[in-house]
Amino acid sequence: MKLAYFPGCKIPFELEAYGSSFERIMERLGVRLQHLPFNCCGYPSRGKSLEIAVLSTIRNLALAQKHGLDIITPCKCCFGQFKHAIYYWNNTPDLRFKMNKILKKEGLSWNGKIQVKHLLSFLYYEFGLSALKNRIKTPFSGGKVVVQYGCHALRPFSITGFDDPFTPKIFESLVNLTGLKTLSWSKSTECCGNPIYDTNKKLSLKMLESKLLSASEKGAAYICNACTHCQIQYSLMNMEEKFKKYDIIPVLFTHILGKAMDLTTKDLGINNTPLSD
Amino acid sequence: MLPIELSIAISLSFIGFLYKFFCFIKANKTFKKKRLSNGLNLKGFFSNTVFQIKLFKAGKLRWLMHFLVVSGFLYLVIFHAMEDVTSFHLFQYYQSTIDPFQFLRNLAGFLILSGCLGFLYRRIFFFKLLKKRKIQFKGLVSILLILTLILSGFLLEAIKIISQPIFMEMVEEYSDIEEGTDLVDLKVYWKKNYNVFFNETLTITQAKLVNGKELNENYCIDCHSPVRSAFLSKRIALVLKKASIWLNTHRADYLLNNVHYFLSLLIIVCLPFSRFFHIILIPISSLDKNLEKKQIDNTEGHINTATLYACTHCGFCSDVCSVLPNYLITKNLNTLPHSKIESFKRLLNHTLDGPQALFRLQSGNDECTLCHKCTDICPSGIDLQNLWVRLDQKLTAKGILDNYSFVDNISLQKWEENAPQKGKIDSIIWKTPSLADNVDSFENCIQCTLCTNVCPVVEHDMNMNDYTPQQVLNLLRLGKKHMATGTRMVWNCLSCFSCQESCPQGIKVADIMIELKNDGNLRTDTMKLDNLKRDR
Repeated sequence: MKLAYFPGCKIPFELEAYGSSFERIMERLGVRLQHLPFNCCGYPSRGKSLEIAVLSTIRNLALAQKHGLDIITPCKCCFGQFKHAIYYWNNTPDLRFKMNKILKKEGLSWNGKIQVKHLLSFLYYEFGLSALKNRIKTPFSGGKVVVQYGCHALRPFSITGFDDPFTPKIFESLVNLTGLKTLSWSKSTECCGNPIYDTNKKLSLKMLESKLLSASEKGAAYICNACTHCQIQYSLMNMEEKFKKYDIIPVLFTHILGKAMDLTTKDLGINNTPLSD
Repeated sequence: MLPIELSIAISLSFIGFLYKFFCFIKANKTFKKKRLSNGLNLKGFFSNTVFQIKLFKAGKLRWLMHFLVVSGFLYLVIFHAMEDVTSFHLFQYYQSTIDPFQFLRNLAGFLILSGCLGFLYRRIFFFKLLKKRKIQFKGLVSILLILTLILSGFLLEAIKIISQPIFMEMVEEYSDIEEGTDLVDLKVYWKKNYNVFFNETLTITQAKLVNGKELNENYCIDCHSPVRSAFLSKRIALVLKKASIWLNTHRADYLLNNVHYFLSLLIIVCLPFSRFFHIILIPISSLDKNLEKKQIDNTEGHINTATLYACTHCGFCSDVCSVLPNYLITKNLNTLPHSKIESFKRLLNHTLDGPQALFRLQSGNDECTLCHKCTDICPSGIDLQNLWVRLDQKLTAKGILDNYSFVDNISLQKWEENAPQKGKIDSIIWKTPSLADNVDSFENCIQCTLCTNVCPVVEHDMNMNDYTPQQVLNLLRLGKKHMATGTRMVWNCLSCFSCQESCPQGIKVADIMIELKNDGNLRTDTMKLDNLKRDR
C-alpha cells in the first residue's frame, strides 16, 4: 500500500518528532509513504478567505491525483480542512469553475476521487484493530490517559465522517490497544484553544488551563494527542510557569504506539519525556 | 607595484564594501553585538561556502551550473588574471600559450560560458507559474558582465591567433630570422599549424614545412603549443578569418585587450554594488548559528542585515512556499519569499513607497505559516523564517497591525459606522449567495441558546465577549450583517463546530461564523488601507 504523506506546515518545523515517529510506524505497518511537494492545507486561511483555503486544499489533492495516491495526514486540522474544502468544492459550482481555471494553468486538475485519511481513521477503519493488535510487542502496564479528540476531525460529522461527534470511541480503542488505560473525560471533544493562540493568547491559554485542570482532577497522567496543533498547544504547558503545578504530560499517539510496537526512542524522536525510559 | 588603474579599481571596490557594511550597521544598530553573541556556525560556513551544499540539496542542475562558473572563475582569477604573482612563480616554464595552460584557460572559459548561459536561460524563462514576473535587471547585469568578459577573452585570443602583425613582432623580438626564405618558411609552417592569417600568397610545400618546423623548434616551440589545444579560440579564429584583413590592419587586438582589461576592472568595482556581493555575503550569512538550531530567534528587533542582502533572487524559496496558493488568489507578490525580501530591504532603507506597498507587505507577510521550508532550501543560507518574524515585529512597531488586533482596537459602534454601502462589499466569497446573506440559512433559529452553551469561547471569555453565537445569528435576523462581522464572537471563533453540531435546527452556525470573518477581514483590509493613506 502506498499513500501520499501530508505533514502540514507545523510538523517539519515545530513538531519534527511527530512526523518521524509517524513515518516509522507506517513503515512498520507496511505502508509506503511518498513525499510530494504539497503546499499549506489551507486551514490557516479559512477565516481570512475561503477561496484561498479551498484552492490550497484542492491544489494538494490535484498533486496527489497526479501521482495517483490517496493522502494520509497525522494532523487533524489538515484532515478537517481537506474534508471541508471537498465539501465546498462539491457544493459550490462557481468556486469549482474558478479553481479549475487556476489549476489548469499549472497543468493540474482534480476529479474528486482522491481519498483523505487521518492516522486514526486509517488505523481504525482500514488497518483494523485486530491487525494492529498483532503488531503490539510490549504493551504498557496500565497508566492513566485521557485523549484529546481534536475538533476539526470530529466535527461536523456530516463533512468529516470521522467518528460519532458526541460519543466518539476510535481514539480510545486505539490507545487501549497499547496497554494504557483511557479515562472517560467530559472535555475530550472540546477545543484545545490553539486556533486563536496567535491572535488571542490570553483566551487560548485559559482554555488550555481549564482542560488541564479537569484532566488532572480525573487523575490522568497523560493527555494523548493525535493532532499537530493540539500537541503544540499542550506543549505550551512546559513553557508557562503557571502550568507547572499540573502533573500531567502531553504525549503523541505515535509515540505511545511506537513504544508499544518496540520502536526505539531514537526512531521515534522522543527525548526528555517519561516515555524515553 | 600595482598599475594605477587597478589600484583605483580596488580602492573603489574597497570603499564600496565599507559603505555597504556601514549601511548594514546603520539599518540595524544591534548588528555587531548580536552577531558575536550568537556564536558562529563554522561547519555550516565551510559546507555551504566551499561545497555549496545547500544549493546542491536544492537543485542539482543549478549547483552544476554554479559550480562550473565558480571553478572556472577561480582558475582564471588565480592563474590567468594574477599570473604575474602566481603562475610565473609556481611554474618555471609558464607561458599562457603553452600546454597545459593554453588548454586549461580555454577549458575554464568554456565552463564559465556554459554555466552563465544556463543562468541566463533560467533567468529569462524563470518560474513557469509566475509568467508575469519581471526579469530582474540587476541579476542579469552580473551575468552579462561575466559573459562579455569571457567572450572578450576568447575573441582576444582568437584575434591574436590569426594576427599577422603580432607574428611579425614576435619574430623580430625572439628570433634572428631576417626577411627571406627562412621567414617565408616559418610563415608557411605557422599558417598551417598555428592558424595565423597572412595577407600574402604562401604556397605550402613539403620542403618549406620541414624548414619551418626546424625554425619553429629553434625559436618558438618553448612558448607556443600547437593551437589545437585552444579548442574554443581556434574555432572562433576560423570564423574570424574572413574579417582578418580588417582586424589585422586596425589592430583589433589592442582594442579587445583594453575591453577585456576594462571589464575585469569594472567587475572589481561592481563587487559590492551588484549581485556579485553574494560572494562575500553568503559566507557571512552561512555563519549564522541560528540556521542549525531550527528555532525562532526571539531576541526582538535584531535583524541580520548582511544576510538580507545575500539573497540572489534564485527563487527556490517561492517554488516551495507553503502559501503559494494564497498568491495565486490575491496576486500579492509579497506573499512569496523572494519578493517579500526585496520589500523588506526597501522598508529598512525607507524606500518602500506608499501606504499601498506597506499594506501589501503586511498582508503578504501575514499569510506566512512559519513552515520553515524557505529557510531549509535557501542556498544562500539565509534564515528567512526569522526574517519574517522580524518583519512582523517591525511592522507592528510601525503601527501596522494584523487584522485581529486592528478590529480589537475599534469599537463595534465605529465598525458599524464604517460599513460600506449595501451591495458594495457583500457576497465577496463567490457568486453563489453566501450563508450569511441567505435568509433561509438562519431564519429557523429559535434562539434556544444551545450553541452558546456549548461554545468554549463563551465559556472562558464571557466578560470580554460582546455577543454570543445565538446573538450573532439574531443580528443576522435583524438584517445587521455589517455589524455582525465586527463582533468579538466572530473574530474569536475557533471554528470547533460544537455549535453547528449541536444546533437542533441544523443551522450551519460555524460556517456562518467563518463567512462573517471572511467578510470582516475584507472590510478590515479596506479600513486599514484607508487609515494608512490618511496617516501619510
